[in-house]
Amino acid sequence: MNPSRPSAPTRWILLGTIGAIVLTILGAVWLEAVHPQLDTDGNRVEGVPPLATTDVPSCRRTVDSEPISRIRETFPRGGRVGSVQIYACPAAYDGLTVSYVGEVVGELLPRDGGAWAQVNDDDYALVTGPVVGHREHAGFNTGLSVWLDAPLVEDITAPGRPALRGDVVLLRGTILRADPDDGGGITLRATELETLAPPLEIDPPLHVLQVVVAGVLSVLALAATLWAGRVRRR
Amino acid sequence: MTAALRPDASDLGLIGYYLGKVLLGLGVLQLIPLAVALAFGEWNSASSFAIGASIAVLIWALSDALLATRRSLTWAHGMVIVALSWLFGAIVTSIPMLLSGRFSGPLPALFESMSALTTTGMSVIHDLDHTPISEDLFRHLLQISGGLGIVIVVLSVFSAGGARVSTLYVSEARDERVLPNIIRTARFIFQVASTLFVVFTSALFVALLSGGFTPGRALYHAVNLFFASFATGGFSVMQASMIYYHSPWVELLVAFVMLAGTFSFGLHLSLWRGSATEVFRHLETRTLALTSLVFFALMTFGLLRAGSYDSLEPLLRKGLFTLASAVSSTGHQVNVGDTYLYDWGVLAPAAIVGAMAIGGMASSTAGGIKAMRIGIAFKAMTHEIRRILLPESAMVITTYHAGKPQVLRDQTARAATTVLLLFIASFLVGAVVGLVYGDLDITQTLFESVSVGANIGISIGVVSPEMPSGLMAVYIVQMWLGRLEFVAVFALLGYVAALARGRAGA
Repeated sequence: MNPSRPSAPTRWILLGTIGAIVLTILGAVWLEAVHPQLDTDGNRVEGVPPLATTDVPSCRRTVDSEPISRIRETFPRGGRVGSVQIYACPAAYDGLTVSYVGEVVGELLPRDGGAWAQVNDDDYALVTGPVVGHREHAGFNTGLSVWLDAPLVEDITAPGRPALRGDVVLLRGTILRADPDDGGGITLRATELETLAPPLEIDPPLHVLQVVVAGVLSVLALAATLWAGRVRRR
Repeated sequence: MTAALRPDASDLGLIGYYLGKVLLGLGVLQLIPLAVALAFGEWNSASSFAIGASIAVLIWALSDALLATRRSLTWAHGMVIVALSWLFGAIVTSIPMLLSGRFSGPLPALFESMSALTTTGMSVIHDLDHTPISEDLFRHLLQISGGLGIVIVVLSVFSAGGARVSTLYVSEARDERVLPNIIRTARFIFQVASTLFVVFTSALFVALLSGGFTPGRALYHAVNLFFASFATGGFSVMQASMIYYHSPWVELLVAFVMLAGTFSFGLHLSLWRGSATEVFRHLETRTLALTSLVFFALMTFGLLRAGSYDSLEPLLRKGLFTLASAVSSTGHQVNVGDTYLYDWGVLAPAAIVGAMAIGGMASSTAGGIKAMRIGIAFKAMTHEIRRILLPESAMVITTYHAGKPQVLRDQTARAATTVLLLFIASFLVGAVVGLVYGDLDITQTLFESVSVGANIGISIGVVSPEMPSGLMAVYIVQMWLGRLEFVAVFALLGYVAALARGRAGA
């Protein structure tokens, strides 16, 4: 035996452990790859106006003043803007009247005179629907904090939840870079609301194979636990 | 064992035996979201948790049946067990995450579980706002388990005695033993966490109810907020993080929980026993207070100079909260990540980076270099300056208060500065690797690297589901190293090298 190398049992323990980890991960990857998928074609929201500009210029406060003035001069009053565009250059949109389209998610938080809502304008809201029945990944959720005046709140029927896309709404209002009524947050103070799509309930398909694997593994785990108990008592 | 024995099958068996116990704990933990998934009819989530729990229990049962031993743990064993526990724990808990379909592959799922366990709080999840309740709860449960210390918690519950597992306590980056007995220490930690859980979850529940939540949703958010905040983890139920709540009361309560999480359990014990003076005399409290004050002044000056905010309320709700989130290493955000880059000027984000680097207190749930080490490094520096200035015959003695008056020893100073330098090296490596990918500048990569390496979780926007895999892998290692404060991971590497060479220090 070569004294500079691990002994045979040690080697087998190490190789066995690494092999088990790799097999487990590959098994999980395979199981996820065969997850049944829903068709998302029908989830796209119709009637969404185009963005006023598709550019996403960024500007750093005290450093880049050119994009700020350019956006403020060229942005059409009431044009549609995306949340990513606002966050990339908040100073440019401060006080501008814009349109904004997105899905109301979570809960409506009623306060005096209206309610706060989180309105997302990502692909899950406008294109594919929630990631419960499909695997069309589109990154983080992105959206805006929106203040809805009391009459507008009544038009919201259901905010988005797991397996439910909430109302998709077209909002018109004013962007505030540091809203004093929200402790300095970036908000949209909405004055008009139009519902573009009602709530959409998703019925995620059951992954039967995953349920079978879970059942088999649970039985194996139970059997191994009983066996370990017997060995311990001996 | 003697000093230069080859690690053999029995050493690996011993390590595997204790690893199995840790994985059992993480398997049992998955039964909670499994029950929640069944209750809410989230069938696919339920089956993924059943798979995750079964794999963990299977590994434990096999290790328990085949590897059970009464051998004592050496320091080398302890270090290796802890380092592997966090790595294997992250791998095993990434299985249900991967099966959730909310991650782009095994690496992002591992990133999420490592981020949860190490209480970093960075996330790469797709479509968080539509995540099933059980899956979200699981992420938060991992954070509180990691914050309290998975190894020590699990082994305290499943091991027969404290003596055999005491070596693991220090290995898990807890260098201050709260009580002489390790089991009593673990129970005290549970006692503190449970008490604060009842108090603050109730308070958050009321605040959320008055903020417009329904009772069920208020309870769900309150529980998860407590887990993420006391663990100084920073995960959130909604992608908008703290912005979502639009409530100064919720922010205030969360700030208190974060600060409770960043307090060392030794100081919790002092408060528990009614000895508040100990808190104010402790070197770590003073260091944390002083550095926080300096960073707050810098941040406020930076925000005012940049014109980001022009009144007191935003300075407190956006500025001070962010600083508290950084100092406590929690990572809850009251701003969208881009804001730090595009709307905060230059000085204020720099102050946040400094606060994140220091982090909270040692022997707490917090991450970062730790105020204790900064305090000791500062004391060591002043010691050296005094030694140079005073006559050669003068005997220079530097003291500090940490539980009791202590004399600063070379070994203590060396240990503190070594870990401090290792953290700085980790921050720089992460920042440079980020730069290699080309699309990012040093402000972004340094901010994110410090946040990841110190287990904070405030993001400037670099971490995302679409980030490069290489950078994601580096961040996973940084989180692991940062949580274990390097020592256990280096011990593991030494052990692996010894295995390859055929010897290991005992």
